[in-house]
Amino acid sequence: MNPLAHNAKLVKQAYWLIRLRWAAVVGVCFTVFMANRLLDINVQVVRLYCIAAVLVCYNWVFLVLVNRAVRNKRSDLAGFINKIVNLQISVDLIVLTIMLHFSGGVENPCVIFFIFHMVISSILLSTKESYLQATLAVGLITLLALLEYKNLIPHYCLVGFIMRDLHGDGLHIAGGLFIFAMTLYMIVYMTGTVATQLRKQEDAFRQANIQLEQKDRLKDEYVSRVTHDIKGHLAAIHSCLEVVDSRMVGPLNEKQQEFVQRAYARTCKLADFVRTLLKLTQMRLNDKFDREVFVLSEMIDSAVASVKTRAGDKSITLSHSFEPMVDKIYGNHFSIEEMVVNLLLNAIKYTPEHGTVTLNVIDQQEDILIEIVDTGIGIPESELEFVFDEFYRASNARKSECDGTGLGLSIAKQIVQRHCGKISVESKLGQGTRLAFTLPKGGCAKTATHSL
Amino acid sequence: MAKILVVDDDGDLVAAISTVLEGKGYEVATASNKEEGMAKIKEIKPDLAILDVMLSTWQDGFEMARELKGDEGLKDIPILMLTGVGDKTGMDFKSETGDAEWLPVDAFLDKPVKSDVLLAEVERLLS
Repeated sequence: MNPLAHNAKLVKQAYWLIRLRWAAVVGVCFTVFMANRLLDINVQVVRLYCIAAVLVCYNWVFLVLVNRAVRNKRSDLAGFINKIVNLQISVDLIVLTIMLHFSGGVENPCVIFFIFHMVISSILLSTKESYLQATLAVGLITLLALLEYKNLIPHYCLVGFIMRDLHGDGLHIAGGLFIFAMTLYMIVYMTGTVATQLRKQEDAFRQANIQLEQKDRLKDEYVSRVTHDIKGHLAAIHSCLEVVDSRMVGPLNEKQQEFVQRAYARTCKLADFVRTLLKLTQMRLNDKFDREVFVLSEMIDSAVASVKTRAGDKSITLSHSFEPMVDKIYGNHFSIEEMVVNLLLNAIKYTPEHGTVTLNVIDQQEDILIEIVDTGIGIPESELEFVFDEFYRASNARKSECDGTGLGLSIAKQIVQRHCGKISVESKLGQGTRLAFTLPKGGCAKTATHSL
Repeated sequence: MAKILVVDDDGDLVAAISTVLEGKGYEVATASNKEEGMAKIKEIKPDLAILDVMLSTWQDGFEMARELKGDEGLKDIPILMLTGVGDKTGMDFKSETGDAEWLPVDAFLDKPVKSDVLLAEVERLLS
């Protein structure tokens, strides 16, 4: 398992255990209160409340220890957390035993609470460690029963709850202890087996996932290499055809001219496609991404200005609004601007004449939301989930515009994800599309620490 | 008329570019790798050099540009570099244009280059 993911999981489990203990404190106090006040059972109220207070104290100590270990990024974090979890469970077992002592000893049915600890041990600890914890529990309870049986410590009978005092009944005690020990070991065995199986499965899934990612990368490298070679040949074909087409090497008759032009137009389209595909694969392969602080409103203005003529050609009303108080954003200026331009061009392309395309920049506390709304042909609902897939083009888009690579939105998604933002699309067929993406104001920094 | 040296390992592309330039009356010399390019440039002292980013290996174009700009007698020859977005370097040349230390060239053009764009750029660099 990836050590970082493994650590993160251990830390999560340590916190889970601490949270459970807060719940246990509440449970203890509630039970003592109910037993004493409502059921009129004779319990050692003060001592039990004191133990609850001890529980609070050491839980707090564990919380501080785990917090500090996480914050200081200890090199042996996994080992440390494992020790802490072991210690927590052992201390829990001791405290539970003392609590039982003050509330009727082994006669108290709460003795079955040890099962919880065994389940938790089997999930969080290794097989050996959980058997050791079970042995500790059995040892503690046996010791308690023996000490009370020999009258070496007092027995606090739960008068009002237990009818007959059984702590002096040797056979009953021995039988009870035997069944108790059997139960704990069985629980550890069964839960441990299931937990181990689950862990193995989880590891297998993770391995498979890593392999898939590696394969995906290989595929990207392959596509990149092939596309690059194609591009070289294509550039040569393109330039040679252009020489003929522009009659630099002599006149052509009408038919010759027509066919050269057809071929030339196709190489233009293919070159466009290859360029976009290369860009996408390069982006996926290249982890480096230059970032800088730039002024968002200026970028938006320049993006909108650069598509004005295209909108004008179709008499489309192009407008934009800008709301955020925070105007500086940290990211790759060039790729974000290019993406906004491409999204606007896309909206214009699929919007009929006299329609509208609107770009709104909206302030959302942590993020900046940029939405592009058009009154275009829309996307069929059943196809919405695929529009960010590579090479996917909606059926109606294919019909109305033959040009298009089906890569534009995949690139947009890559760029937004690189900035730790989210991209989404809503659409009504025949009415229009709203494409929205977010950019975190602080760049990726905040999100990166969160993900630990 | 101005002299232009075109250095590219793709012979077809060189033929096309030369034809376009010669059509406009420029005097064109060609080379297919860095060594040949350097020799020609010293011999004919062109008014402009058009280089491919990737000659036989991907850095040759860069290195040739650096060498030219580092040579007292040759550093005034403007360089037009032909690139493709997403070339094997994975770099975005456009955003780096202003950085003369990083790559000392005078202009970039994406391949495939349209002849009118090429001619306009050549005219601009020669004026």
